[in-house]
Amino acid sequence: MKLFENSSFDFLQLEFGDLKLTVSKGGYKPASSAAQEAERQVAAERPRPAAPRASEPSVLPPKEVQRRTDGVPITAPMVGTFYTAPSPGAPPFVNVGDFVNEDTTVGLIEVMKVFNAVTAGVAGTITEICVQNGAFVEYGQPLFMVTPGASAAQKGSAG
Amino acid sequence: MSISRVLVANRGEIAVRVIKACQALRLQSVLAVSEADRKSMAAQMADRVVCIGPARAAESYLKIEALVSAALGTGADALHPGYGFLAEEPKLAEACAEHGIRFIGPSAESIRLMGNKLEARALAAKNGIPIAAGSMKVHNLEEALRTAREIGFPLLFKAAAGGGGRGIKIVSSEAGLAEAFSTAGAEARAAFGDDTLYMERYIANARHIEVQVFGDRFGNVIHFGERDCSLQRRHQKIVEEAPAPNLPDQRRRQIHLAAVALAKKIGYENAGTVEFIFDRDSGGFYFLEMNTRIQVEHPVTEMITGVDLVQEQIRVAGGEPLSVSQSDVRFTGHAIECRINAESPQHGFRPSPGLLSRWEPPTGEGVRLDSHCFAGYVIPPFYDSLMGKLITHGPTRAEALSRMREALASFVFDGVETNIPFLRAVIDHPDYVNADVNTTWLERNLATLSAPAG
Repeated sequence: MKLFENSSFDFLQLEFGDLKLTVSKGGYKPASSAAQEAERQVAAERPRPAAPRASEPSVLPPKEVQRRTDGVPITAPMVGTFYTAPSPGAPPFVNVGDFVNEDTTVGLIEVMKVFNAVTAGVAGTITEICVQNGAFVEYGQPLFMVTPGASAAQKGSAG
Repeated sequence: MSISRVLVANRGEIAVRVIKACQALRLQSVLAVSEADRKSMAAQMADRVVCIGPARAAESYLKIEALVSAALGTGADALHPGYGFLAEEPKLAEACAEHGIRFIGPSAESIRLMGNKLEARALAAKNGIPIAAGSMKVHNLEEALRTAREIGFPLLFKAAAGGGGRGIKIVSSEAGLAEAFSTAGAEARAAFGDDTLYMERYIANARHIEVQVFGDRFGNVIHFGERDCSLQRRHQKIVEEAPAPNLPDQRRRQIHLAAVALAKKIGYENAGTVEFIFDRDSGGFYFLEMNTRIQVEHPVTEMITGVDLVQEQIRVAGGEPLSVSQSDVRFTGHAIECRINAESPQHGFRPSPGLLSRWEPPTGEGVRLDSHCFAGYVIPPFYDSLMGKLITHGPTRAEALSRMREALASFVFDGVETNIPFLRAVIDHPDYVNADVNTTWLERNLATLSAPAG
């Protein structure tokens, strides 16, 4: 993962047999198979996501997911395990206060060992992270709350 | 039993049925729902609900990754596929096995073997089970013509990857053979991605008789008797009953034994149904196919045997032996099932989704309703139109029928159209009352049966 982080590549797709992994840096969308070189470099290393697999819940969580703030939600496009960062110890894709574009990658959802990038789908400022790293999420579940608004000045002003 | 939490990978009445079985066995249930089913009856009953995708089945109930992911994420250790959707998809059974989830059904191998109707037919023949005169794979028109002259008309082209009444074409004479061969192949390729065809003699005066079989991992395979499902429209069953009326006892026993022999041969585990065609003219019976799932019509078998087949499925998948032996299975009385659909028989059975503003189903001795409907429920337009199954039981066929007549007559509903008036006309028809029907009877009498009453 270090290789990838330090490389000039923005997006990395790996396949080991039936394991497929896709990792991207800060909101980059895969456009081509540009990651082939990097794939060769890190093929021996199996990157792990940022947290251990969601463990078996001993008590069933409540049926309803609560939202605390207003705004527009970024919802889970599929059911699976949600990761806020591309690898363990790595900084999260986004923090509260960050500005995101429609195509900014905000997290990953693992579905049967396949990692899928979640894009914001909305431009604005992240006001809330609704789901913990490594949590199991349902289709349609709010992951982040966003106050919409396209402002380049806001970019990077977060803390 | 090694199962404690079951993911229910289906919707509608069968999801309700499976959750009830889980509750009876004191197991937790997790229901996978599409966005359209968040407020379903099953969703209100399950211990937990997980939304797995949008309304479109291809993006939810037909998505293996979503279902397995939902099971893993909620700590479910078993998955019940119900019927339809992915119930007979070997890849789901495989995916479950890979991830340590018990698939409540047979092995992927059994599903795959019986899913190829041509291989299943060959296996039956090899084990001395009668099959209708026909062919193995038909490669070209020349071969089809040669086979047709051997077995005679009318005949059927069947898709090897078909089943459940899908991928079938009837040919009445040599003149229609070439066209039927090419369209059947094209349709099979489009529907199943496999254009392998075989041919079979068409038995016009036939009854559809199927045997409920059950196997466990200890090699026990037993049957729970047969069902008669001859009343079909477009190869879809409408009214079913158990036992099959007017079947000579010796023939009945032979059909049971053939079904058990086939299931035993493949080391079949869990619930399955072996279907036969019974020739009313010759009295012969022929293997049709095996369905490797719980059937829609399983309640009629439960009513006459007193065995809860869905609970049995879960127990057996959990590694327990069958709770009954063959000699424990006793048949009591007669049961009839009517499938209640949201559709308009007067308008070509067009689906009638929408708000079910009133729903007051009949109750009484020997009356059972398996349904997910309630007053205020909005029947979504995305799935099949089955609203439920009305089942009646009585000491005799006449009494079961009389209870069905009363139950259908006292069914109160409003908001959507249903086939209840049609069902009333069917079960009141003298041919049905006398059990003098075959698999084409319903279609032949459709116009009279679906005409408005009065």
